[in-house]
Amino acid sequence: MSRIDSWIGTYCPNLSPGSYQVTSSATSDYNCIAWAAQSDDCWWDPTDPDQYWPDEVSRKLTLEAFIEAYQTLGYVPCNSVQYEPGFQKVAIYTKPNGEPDGEPTHVARQLPSGRWTSKMGSLEDIEHEVDALRGFYYGAVAQILKQFVSPSAD
Amino acid sequence: MLSQQAEIVKEFLALRQEWEREVAGASIVAEKTSHPAYQKIVDMGTAVIPLLLRELELRPNHWFAALRAITGANPIQPEQRGRTKQMAESWLKWGKENGYEW
Repeated sequence: MSRIDSWIGTYCPNLSPGSYQVTSSATSDYNCIAWAAQSDDCWWDPTDPDQYWPDEVSRKLTLEAFIEAYQTLGYVPCNSVQYEPGFQKVAIYTKPNGEPDGEPTHVARQLPSGRWTSKMGSLEDIEHEVDALRGFYYGAVAQILKQFVSPSAD
Repeated sequence: MLSQQAEIVKEFLALRQEWEREVAGASIVAEKTSHPAYQKIVDMGTAVIPLLLRELELRPNHWFAALRAITGANPIQPEQRGRTKQMAESWLKWGKENGYEW
C-alpha cells in the first residue's frame, strides 16, 4: 500500500479506496491552501511566520482569516457546492464538524468536472468528492467561496 | 562517544518516522510542529542540528520551526516565505557558516 493510501485509510475513513485518484507526486513545496489558490510552488499558512500568507490578512487560524485570504484573490462567499459554469469554487474545511468558529484544516478546489482537487498536506494531490473528506481529521466544509473566471475556462 | 551519537541518530530517526507518518496529511504547520514527536526532537537540542540540516538537504520538510527553536536564529528572508526549497537552502548556508557538518 502506498504512503498516501495508508494515510487516507487511517485519517479519512469516508474516502474509500477507488473513490479518489492520486494526481501528482508527493511534495512539501505547497499545501492545500496554496493549491486551492492555484499555486504549486508555495506553502500558505498563517500559523508559521516562515510560510506565505497575504500581507493584508491577519495571521490567525480562523475561518474569517481564510475567507479574507481568498478574498484577496477575488473570491466571494457562496452557499452551493454545485458546479457553476464560469466560476471557480473553493471549499474551506474546519473542525469540529465544519463549525464556523472551528479551526480551518483544509481547502479544496473544484474542477470543471464538478469533482474537487486537494493537496493532502505534504503528500500528493488527489481528486475526490467534496464531502468525502468529512471526518475526525479535517472536520467538514464550513464555507464555499467562488470567483468568476470566464465561461471559456470551462 | 560514538555509541552516544549513534543513540541520538537512532532516536531522531524513530521520532522523524513517527512524525512523518502521523502528520503527513496536515497542511497547517502549527499542527505539524505541535506533534509530540516533533517536540521531542526539539527537546533533543543542539545535538540534532546536523541531523535536521541533513534532512533539509535530502528532502526539504518542515524542520524550520525546530531549527528556529533550537538555534534562536532565522536565516530565512521575507521573500523566501513559503518557498520550502529556498528556505532549506538558507538554513544549509547558515549551517555551513556556523561550522556544522552533516
